[in-house]
Amino acid sequence: MSRTSASIRRRGTTYPVNTWYVIATKDEVSRQPLARRALETPVVIYRTQDGQAVALEDRDAHRPYPLSLGRVDGDTIVSGYSGFAYAPDGACVHVPTQPHVPIGARVRAFPVVEQDGLVWAWLGVAPLASRRNPPRTPWLAEDGWTTLGDEWDTQANLLLLHENFADITHVPVVDPFIAPPVLAGEPPALEVEVSETAVSFSRDYPPARLTGWHADALGLPSDTEHAQREEGAFVTPGLWADAWHVYVDGGSPHTFRFTHAVTPVSARQTRHVWRVSRNFAPGPEVSERLLPIFTAYYRRVQQILETMQQVIDSDGPRDEVSVNSDAAAQQVRRIVNRLITEERMA
Amino acid sequence: MSGATGTTRTIVREHEAELLVQKAEVVAEDVVALTLVSPAGETLPSWSPGAHIDLVLADDLVRQYSLCSSPGEDGAWRIGVLRTPDSRGGSQRVHDTLTEGATVTIRGPRNHFPLVATSTYLFIAGGIGITPMLPMIAQAEAAGANWRLLYGGRHRASMAFLPELAQYGDRVTVVPQDEAGFPDLDGLLGTPQEGTLVYCCGPEGLLSAVEAKCARWPSGSLHLERFSAKPQEISDVLDESFELVLQQTGVSVTVPPDVSVFQAALDAGANVLGSCMEGICGTCETEVVEGDVDHRDSVLNEEERAANEFMMICVSRCKSKRLVLDI
Repeated sequence: MSRTSASIRRRGTTYPVNTWYVIATKDEVSRQPLARRALETPVVIYRTQDGQAVALEDRDAHRPYPLSLGRVDGDTIVSGYSGFAYAPDGACVHVPTQPHVPIGARVRAFPVVEQDGLVWAWLGVAPLASRRNPPRTPWLAEDGWTTLGDEWDTQANLLLLHENFADITHVPVVDPFIAPPVLAGEPPALEVEVSETAVSFSRDYPPARLTGWHADALGLPSDTEHAQREEGAFVTPGLWADAWHVYVDGGSPHTFRFTHAVTPVSARQTRHVWRVSRNFAPGPEVSERLLPIFTAYYRRVQQILETMQQVIDSDGPRDEVSVNSDAAAQQVRRIVNRLITEERMA
Repeated sequence: MSGATGTTRTIVREHEAELLVQKAEVVAEDVVALTLVSPAGETLPSWSPGAHIDLVLADDLVRQYSLCSSPGEDGAWRIGVLRTPDSRGGSQRVHDTLTEGATVTIRGPRNHFPLVATSTYLFIAGGIGITPMLPMIAQAEAAGANWRLLYGGRHRASMAFLPELAQYGDRVTVVPQDEAGFPDLDGLLGTPQEGTLVYCCGPEGLLSAVEAKCARWPSGSLHLERFSAKPQEISDVLDESFELVLQQTGVSVTVPPDVSVFQAALDAGANVLGSCMEGICGTCETEVVEGDVDHRDSVLNEEERAANEFMMICVSRCKSKRLVLDI
């Protein structure tokens, strides 16, 4: 009897810590405190007077009361119970009842980088943050792209989400309406490229019809055939990015870019911020037609991944049969497993 | 396209790129530091301390070099190359041809010398073995760990990167052989220390000495990186054949004594990656599901070997009759 491989055994129970994760989107962060939970840690996020995003541990150092239930005052956040005020570096800078601040009173401050419409936080060993940069997602901020999306929590481990993104051959089974017709048959060759910390893949499809909603969004007749290219990348544990290109009349491709910012809330719960960006048909009426289509699909994926986590939790991990199209998911699992092992070994 | 057999091709390969030598600087006797960038100014793949890349110097001439810049610097990589009298002239070719403005094909990065999290580190470098240590000590310093570096070399002028190590003060002990003899390994490693990890990279003589001194240390304490394959004890037992099962496809084949697991898996249609074929680069690392692995690589440490979770299929074999791999 074979034993279950190590990376399968660890899946569903843990996640990498020393990496950048999206803690909020740009629009969510304001002068009002925002409460989030990530990596089993309560976090409060707000903006200083000059607009800098700040992320602190969401717990007053004086009593177990969330700072997010208090208020932002100048560049500080003031506890709604003790009245202790904390600066953006986490240091307590004012207490109401005595002239001097208790020495060493502070809350954890998390390194934050805001770029391309996303607010990234580093909840691992703080000084290591300066030795890595969060990945770029320029299509979320650049002119020429129109973006729609949503965000929610999925009651499943981070790796289950990545494995799902890594292989879209399940789409015709899960949601025949959204699936590109080229996925109906046996897919063309999958090219997977691996480096130490990232995996990317691509597939080139010969000219084929588009699905109805896709042709409609592009303003193309539904019966014309177009070459298509699928690309996907495990960029970091906190970011999956993929793209679907449609080649029309030899010009530059009409492209959908899909951004999945995934952040472990706990080992069994993952925040999923998803965005669908397009470089064609910028009108709001197209967005209105597309949003319910993608929402329905990602909600269906959410249900399925939650069911998978329940199966793991109730019946334990078990070896799984893999097929050719799992090659990218296998590489992702290998990298995540290694990151987790290195962080937790000591 | 799908083949006549009805199976879809899947091609798994390592990241490969043509990079530009932006800077080639002599940093010590016979040591050149190369700064490599994307010709289009693109971001390079991320990596972590201990990682290395392949330089593809010719179709059949590939050499591995540790990255010695900072992982946070994602627009450029730095490697340090010592000119050595290696039989095929790999490093000689780097010195002669990779001047500023030249291009070179690289593969990777990959990492089989990762810095595992702990509170205390002892870093031991011999000669050009200093290269993977530079990003490691920078990370240990940033993480607030307690660490020391012992850096040995023939003489000062041959020892690269001394100026940038000066910032760490007395955490770094420089031991040029002509001034101070051999490093005091007994003083450093004589008493095993729980929770301290030892990282060592350098010539085989240093590695063997450190390995011997660490024999009484807790399992998993010592992490080594070799420049070349570890000398293997000659066994008088001939290799035997065994059954290889590819778990993902269910294919089962016999591996004869004169065929590697890598070759057998490749012939059986598995997607396997390989590079050095000598058990030093770690590219072909494969997850083991079942089987008593006969580890013959220079990548895994004793604890990793005992865990039996991974093997390097280019050189390692199987002691039991059946080897099941997660490929």
